Amino acid sequence: MRQQEIHQYIQRFFHENKCRVLDESYDHMTVQLTIDMDKRIMNRPYYWSYVESGGVEPNPAKLTLITNPSQFSASLAGERIHFGSPRLHQLFQVTKEQGAFVQMYEKPGQNQATQVTLTPWLGVNYKITYSSDRTKEMLYSLGMNLMNGAVIDGFQESVRKLDLAPSVSANTYYLPYNIPPMRALNRLEEVMENVVNQDDHTWVDEAKQRQVRDLRVLDYFYTGVEDVPESYAMEKKAIEEQYETTIRIEIINGGLFYLKTPLV
Amino acid sequence: MRIERSTEWKEGFTERLENRKEWDNWTLYQMCYDMERAKVIPEFHGLQSPKHLPNLTPYAHQLEAAETVIERMNGKAILADEVGLGKTIEAGLVLKEYLIRGLVKKALILAPASLTNQWIAELNQKFHIPAIAYNKKYNLDHCPIVVTSIDMAKRSPHKEMIYQQEYDLVIIDEAHKLKNPKTKNYEFVQQLKKKFCLLLTATPIQNDVFELFNLISLLKPGHLGNLETFQSVFSASKHHVEEDEFLKELIQQVMVRNIRHETGIEWTNRLVQIMPLDFTEQERVIYSMISKLPVSDSFTLLTLQREMCSSQLAAVLTLEKLHQTTVQPEVRFQIEEILLKLTELDIHSKSKKALELIQKADDKVIIFTEYRATQAYLQAVLHAKGITSVLFNGKFSKNKREWMKQLFQNNAQVLIATESGSEGINLQFCHHVINYDLPWNPMKLEQRIGRVHRLGQTEDVHIYNLAIQQSVEDKMVELLERKIGVFEKVVGELDHILTDGKRSIS
Repeated sequence: MRQQEIHQYIQRFFHENKCRVLDESYDHMTVQLTIDMDKRIMNRPYYWSYVESGGVEPNPAKLTLITNPSQFSASLAGERIHFGSPRLHQLFQVTKEQGAFVQMYEKPGQNQATQVTLTPWLGVNYKITYSSDRTKEMLYSLGMNLMNGAVIDGFQESVRKLDLAPSVSANTYYLPYNIPPMRALNRLEEVMENVVNQDDHTWVDEAKQRQVRDLRVLDYFYTGVEDVPESYAMEKKAIEEQYETTIRIEIINGGLFYLKTPLV
Repeated sequence: MRIERSTEWKEGFTERLENRKEWDNWTLYQMCYDMERAKVIPEFHGLQSPKHLPNLTPYAHQLEAAETVIERMNGKAILADEVGLGKTIEAGLVLKEYLIRGLVKKALILAPASLTNQWIAELNQKFHIPAIAYNKKYNLDHCPIVVTSIDMAKRSPHKEMIYQQEYDLVIIDEAHKLKNPKTKNYEFVQQLKKKFCLLLTATPIQNDVFELFNLISLLKPGHLGNLETFQSVFSASKHHVEEDEFLKELIQQVMVRNIRHETGIEWTNRLVQIMPLDFTEQERVIYSMISKLPVSDSFTLLTLQREMCSSQLAAVLTLEKLHQTTVQPEVRFQIEEILLKLTELDIHSKSKKALELIQKADDKVIIFTEYRATQAYLQAVLHAKGITSVLFNGKFSKNKREWMKQLFQNNAQVLIATESGSEGINLQFCHHVINYDLPWNPMKLEQRIGRVHRLGQTEDVHIYNLAIQQSVEDKMVELLERKIGVFEKVVGELDHILTDGKRSIS
């Protein structure tokens, strides 16, 4: 993420969370946190339990974030924000909690005389992690048509371009799904599993080889030793853990989408 | 192949489908996906950490070291860069990389007590890694990154508390202190589970190749064979390492060592000279009287000889102690005679030389001595000539160290440090180092010089090694040269520490 994208991200984040921007320029932003946001990100539970017990007027914090260090912002008392900074990481976490499940309806568009029919879809964004003593991650965005069971990849990119709303617009109606969402979810999981199974897994063999090699070296160290010390078992366990291979499939987020536009 | 998955999302989704909870916001939903896409780690290879650390500009050799450790050494390595090349940065990059990749959740950093705060500050400020100082009152379950000293960690109840934790990465700074397997420190580290492990030391060999064997056996037991096989190959003669190339290659599989002039960074010159001196006639007489003392303990005699090469005050203190414990009247008499002659001595010829060098430098100078008595003596000698100086030793608290450094930088011309003062202080504003007494261990010279000849030094650095001819110091120079030879054979090139080959007499 470039600094400009980060600035935009923060701006949208606070806007969506109803935090008022008090001051903003291309390089920084000062926001008045809401009570809820203060509790989420300012890490001061004692203050809040004090406020709530004592009837003191709550005073949520103002936060100045510097997104583009410049000569001007150098004079500002604020937190520098960049990719990898703890504050941004924290905002990411909050975003994750707040953007996990949606139900969206495509708007009919202008001059729509006739009634519009929306097709139900289940969209799920997955992250796959391969891990040994190294890691690799992949994202997949799958969508399943809940009328006919068709599955497409790149779902998120497709719906991103559409005009969606959280409730049904007038003069539109949506079809009740044929395939219940939970069953669709199980089907998508199978699809993910297939993707994983068909992938190239030489990385597993390579990690195994490294492990075997290291275990051999360790055993050599203790050949001829009569009373093998405790450290042997521990070293062995450490090597086993070091190269242990795992595959993890996580759901980032997902939801129900009622779409007028056909997706292929 | 087993696949892990979590059911958490499924449960939340069911709750929404059954109208038990609200759906989330579309914008935040999209932002969440965008953020995950920005964070994704698309390759097993390469470093992600620089992307997360835009305000840190590591040198190429540091990035390369981090990558080598992770990809070629699988996260178990000795970082043995020369002093001042930023081993801490390399270790920070490795730790950060593993944290980002989720391979390390908990890490333990063991550093000398005087350096723990520096580690905490660097990890927090430069790497945004929330490292904290170990405290037995904390519940370690909730402290992912902990910094402490081995001296603390090896003792109960800390030891047990630390052993209970499952650390994924252990970093040990100044790891040359673990050269002896018979120590509690070594034992402590040996018993620690080390999934990933970094040992940091500029001086993996100080005296002999067994130290390196011990270090590597902590990191990766068996890599150099077991003690028996190693001994049979290398023990024949300690100083003539056979099969050097083979050993060197094995070592390079677990050790990263950058040397200054290969880093591509412009370094100022390091001008090292041995300054051979002569005793005055009177000093020579006393030196031979000392050498003839019938002391049964050869170590005491050696110490006395070395002290005589340093200052009369250093010798006096030891002689007085010896006098107290000696019963034979004739030996007592000999000691008294020496003591008397010592009081008649004029300024020590070595301190005279030091004085001359300081005056000639007309600049800040650091003097390293092995003896506290000499430290005091030198301060008096300098004071008499109107030269301001501050003292420095390893026993100073962190605050006092910092204060003394400030004093030296702003108010005094000379810093007189004892051996133990040579770690962990950075004095790039100074360009002259006098090794007033030589240590037995060449790496101590390297550590001393490293205080000034490091990143940030803007001028050429002058090193003067003082050695009195026809004394024990001659032999020390010879021994130092031999040890440097061993180091270069198995570890690799070493920057000039004793001489730069252009022996000069001035």
